[in-house]
Amino acid sequence: MSVTEAKSYPAPRPSKLTLFMRSFLPWQFVRFLVINLRMTVMIKKSHGRNIGPETPDNR
Amino acid sequence: MRVVILGAGISGHTAALLLRRKLSKKHEVIVVSPNSLWNWIPSNIWVGVGNMKPADVTFDLPSVYKRARIEFHQAKAIEIYPEGLGDAAHPYVLVESTKESDRGQKTEIKYDYLINATGPRLNFGATPGLGPDGFTHSVCTVDHAYSTALELDKLIEEMKTGQKKTLVVGTGHGLCTCEGAAFEYIFNLEFELRQKGVRDNARLVFLTNEAELGDFGVGGLQLKSGGFVTPSKVFAESLFVEREVNWITGAHVHKIEKNRLEYETLDGERDTLDFDFAMLLPPFTGVPLKAFNKIGEDISNQLFNASGFMKVDADYTVKTYEQWAPEDWPKTYQTAYKNIFAIGIAFAPPHQISKPRKSKNGTMIAPAPPRTGMPSAIMGRIVANSIADMINGVSENPTHAASMTEIGAACVASAGANAIVGGAVSMTMYPIVPDFKTYPNVGRSLVHTTGEIGTAGHWIKKLLHYAFIYKAKALPFWWIIPE
Repeated sequence: MSVTEAKSYPAPRPSKLTLFMRSFLPWQFVRFLVINLRMTVMIKKSHGRNIGPETPDNR
Repeated sequence: MRVVILGAGISGHTAALLLRRKLSKKHEVIVVSPNSLWNWIPSNIWVGVGNMKPADVTFDLPSVYKRARIEFHQAKAIEIYPEGLGDAAHPYVLVESTKESDRGQKTEIKYDYLINATGPRLNFGATPGLGPDGFTHSVCTVDHAYSTALELDKLIEEMKTGQKKTLVVGTGHGLCTCEGAAFEYIFNLEFELRQKGVRDNARLVFLTNEAELGDFGVGGLQLKSGGFVTPSKVFAESLFVEREVNWITGAHVHKIEKNRLEYETLDGERDTLDFDFAMLLPPFTGVPLKAFNKIGEDISNQLFNASGFMKVDADYTVKTYEQWAPEDWPKTYQTAYKNIFAIGIAFAPPHQISKPRKSKNGTMIAPAPPRTGMPSAIMGRIVANSIADMINGVSENPTHAASMTEIGAACVASAGANAIVGGAVSMTMYPIVPDFKTYPNVGRSLVHTTGEIGTAGHWIKKLLHYAFIYKAKALPFWWIIPE
């Protein structure tokens, strides 16, 4: 059977503190700001580039 | 000048709104789409678990286009004549109405510029028994997602009586894409089952064509965490173990019958899996669209690849995985015809992003490259900018480029829709297609490739839901919201 059983699989499991912090609202508010900042940077880097008119690489 | 856009999904709609904003009133922008409803597809996941209603993720397109001064045809494109036909040398596209009042009626629409943003054809037929007409569910369209939620409701009621059920979520074929959507669905499902107090009666199985968890069709990610550079496989497995979601990786589904599917894995093993509920994504092909030259000869194979996706300015030379290069990927999405572009899922990628593999029996099990969401919208933007410049006489050639090897993506994968106890995996990756020359060993920037899970991710996902629907409705200052 090729189903991997999650219960017995030796993957790293989050600690109680990690689980708590994932839904601890003050900390999540900080993360909200950080993730938004990261995404803003990503969006700025990813809106394509102006290659200008008539460059040889245009096609 | 007249710009015709085939398709009103994320890429086509973005291109249409931007073109209308950039071109003066003397130019026409025409959209042809078989659906009169616009659908924010990323939120179909929430419809599919009963968390949202179809009306929350859709709106009426014709009224928005009327307000935006964009002509709308509810129709599907069936033939393109890039050189015109016979003496009528003006290029045109033949469309067939899908409107109830004149269904099937064909119309020729002339164009000066054409954008193919037709998106995918959901190829449920690739696997016998796959799809809503077979034995599995889907969240690919809002109607599919709503039907899925209704079936799930019934199943939950049965589980409340103590019945044990097996729920399978994943990909229904070895060549599927959008594994991230299946990932989101199973964790939303797991969350909803917990919320409804029936989690103990559910055995969840994630069945995927990815060779390992966390691949997402992009060859996985490498993330800096705790002093290590760690593959996304480790993070993904950790989440599956934490939520007790079992998995089958590297799988191609051969056949689906009522409550049973047959699959093969990369090691060549063939097996069956019994289920009570399955949500399996189909593989995609291009929509059925033919092209003809001016003497009426079929030139479809010049414009489209074997899967029906439109060839653009990519390098389609057949290469091995080791020979793949960032330069293979298209930059401007212009086709061999200078006035035709293809964006979003409609363009033909030069090859996969994730390493393609075959099972020991020779079955191809290779995730197709994802190109939905943010990359699709960015393609819509740069093609709109290029066409506007070409029409305004700035250049004869495209002036904007966005190769998937030069742009990144921000993805928020929901893992439970609740503002207090829900969560989502927030990821950024740069670039989308790995570039091992610029970023040796890891293929992507370790500064800009990030991932974390938490409630904040859910807030962002919800914020994006409202922001993008606002933008798509072209409400005041919509253009401030980035793609």
